[in-house]
Amino acid sequence: MIAFRHSFKAMACVAEIQLYANDMGAAARACKAAQREVERIEAKYSRYRDDSVTTAINRGAGIAPVAIDTETSALLDYADACWEQSEGLFDITSGVLRRVWDWKRGEPPTPSLIESGVANIGWQRVRRESLTIRLDRGMEIDFGGIGKEYAADKAAAVLSQSGISYGLVNLGGDIRAVGAHPGGKPWKIGITHPRDTTRTIAHLSLADAGLATSGDYERFFVHRGKRYCHVLNPKTGWPADGPQSVSVVAPLCIVAGSCATIAMLREEGAADYLREQGYPYLLIDREGNASGTLAK
Amino acid sequence: MVSGVAAVAATRLLSAALALPGLAAGVAATVAPTFVHAETAPETGTIDFKYLYYHDYQPGGSRMRISAPSLHLLLPISATWALEGTLVVDAISGASPLYHDTLSGASKLGVNDLRKAGDLKLMRYFDRAAVGFGFAYSTEHDYVSRTLSTDARVSTPDNNTTFALGVGHSSDDIDSVNRVARGKSKRTTDWMIGVTQVLTPSDIVQSNITYSSGSGYYDDPYKAVDIRPGSREQTAWLTRWNHHLPSLDATLRLSARYYRDTFGIRAATLGAEWVQSYGAWSLTPSFRYYTQSAADFYHGPPFPIGFAFGKPYSADQRLSAFGAITPGIKLARSFTGGWHVDVKAEYYEQRNDWRRLVDAGDGGKGSADLKPVKAQFYQFGIGKDF
Repeated sequence: MIAFRHSFKAMACVAEIQLYANDMGAAARACKAAQREVERIEAKYSRYRDDSVTTAINRGAGIAPVAIDTETSALLDYADACWEQSEGLFDITSGVLRRVWDWKRGEPPTPSLIESGVANIGWQRVRRESLTIRLDRGMEIDFGGIGKEYAADKAAAVLSQSGISYGLVNLGGDIRAVGAHPGGKPWKIGITHPRDTTRTIAHLSLADAGLATSGDYERFFVHRGKRYCHVLNPKTGWPADGPQSVSVVAPLCIVAGSCATIAMLREEGAADYLREQGYPYLLIDREGNASGTLAK
Repeated sequence: MVSGVAAVAATRLLSAALALPGLAAGVAATVAPTFVHAETAPETGTIDFKYLYYHDYQPGGSRMRISAPSLHLLLPISATWALEGTLVVDAISGASPLYHDTLSGASKLGVNDLRKAGDLKLMRYFDRAAVGFGFAYSTEHDYVSRTLSTDARVSTPDNNTTFALGVGHSSDDIDSVNRVARGKSKRTTDWMIGVTQVLTPSDIVQSNITYSSGSGYYDDPYKAVDIRPGSREQTAWLTRWNHHLPSLDATLRLSARYYRDTFGIRAATLGAEWVQSYGAWSLTPSFRYYTQSAADFYHGPPFPIGFAFGKPYSADQRLSAFGAITPGIKLARSFTGGWHVDVKAEYYEQRNDWRRLVDAGDGGKGSADLKPVKAQFYQFGIGKDF
């Protein structure tokens, strides 16, 4: 059995696949198939591409219902479940705020600009039939909050279908493990320190599960001593001002990712929310203190 | 704790995700059992206090009692450094143990001694490796021992295999109170090579070989006639197997050790422990069997059978051929806040006719005419992780 590692760029991050296979040919075929699956999902749902499903749905806003396929419909169902479970904090129509918040500019937008953005958010206003979706004028959706995690799960499923029993898919920190190392030793994963991203703050072990981390350090600026991060609250239009970072382990990466994001948006209520979910988690609070079942 | 409502909430997200095309296959029902900590450097410190009480006796013989409080401290310094230290004080009271029935009169020295021992180890952790540097010091009023050691271990990229290598050097100075040994010394160098292999999630096997080569003063200055070779080479091969049984929440630990040295001693140890957890409690019954052949220069009673001028000679019962059993039991309980408490009791019995297994070309029999040695150990420990 040989160990194989493959890196490529996708979804604006460095993707990495590690796996064990009986021979080099099987390993390379499985990696390529997984990479193609990631690239397929990126092409299909990227909001930066003219020919993507996301762009088509957003173009139809205020005009007409847009026909969607079953995969897109299932993703929207999942986004609906997240919205409901988070009482509206997780909203895939909040992408309009990205036009309001300019991370390069380094200062918060005016309150009136934020209000105009919030006015165009609201999953409850999206009208859906089983295979159509219609947005109001000025609204848009994006799969940024779940697409990468979904791709990690799908790539892992491709590895399994290719006969791989020991593999790891890492899409810029959104991770899904297929089995463990041969012999059963789990994959060892480092969690980035939210205030020193060159270091890790913890290590944990993962087998047959997904892991995702949401943090305030991916994109942010500091203005007059206050940190403004890219995790935006769709109800207020302002960045989440709670934990520095939340990592969750769940059976699927997509579930781990949504839980981590919702916990970030819950701010002070993050720990309560994570405890309710019952999945293993690591919470680094505003002061940098670690807690949760993975902190020990 | 997961409330009923919360469990439904989690199921809602997961079941929605499982409706996504192609994601339902191969999804673990739960993530908890596959999830364990694997910190490189320890993230929490530990302080442990233990109190050992030892008491041995032979029929009609003298007795020795030892009470030994000890303090152990593990202190993480940073993500990559840790410091570990132990301090032991043995208060020994009573007579020196009876090594040989017929020479018991020769062992007149009443022992009322204090042994102080400490060690300090600094560890540096790397991504898949660790290096340790240690210093140990032990002193009695007639004995000073210092040891410097270093060891390293490296894991394969999949972390399934870990190789370990260690080397240590000890320097002992002996000044016996009866003036038999004045300014004597002993130097020993130890080597260790080992491998740990994860076989399955429930099975870990470890095997290591230690070799030690020493020269200097090995005699027992408190014995009337005790002349031993001036050098000793010792080789030991230890293999351990830990098997975890998740359905019973228990772990079986088996070990086997083979030992030989240039004194002519061949020894074997077989050990078994069953660690049974019940929530915060754990109960560990254990059993160990040890057996050895006699040293080439061991001679049973009566003196001077086997004695020749200029040749090594010893009647030390510890160099005779015997077998010994050690049944034991340990009860441990952990509390919230990192506290843990344990009590342990062991019984030791050594008999010359219990010798088995090791073949030293001497017919495999135990040494004759020695009375059994029996001992009891009690240990109480309390500690805290911080």
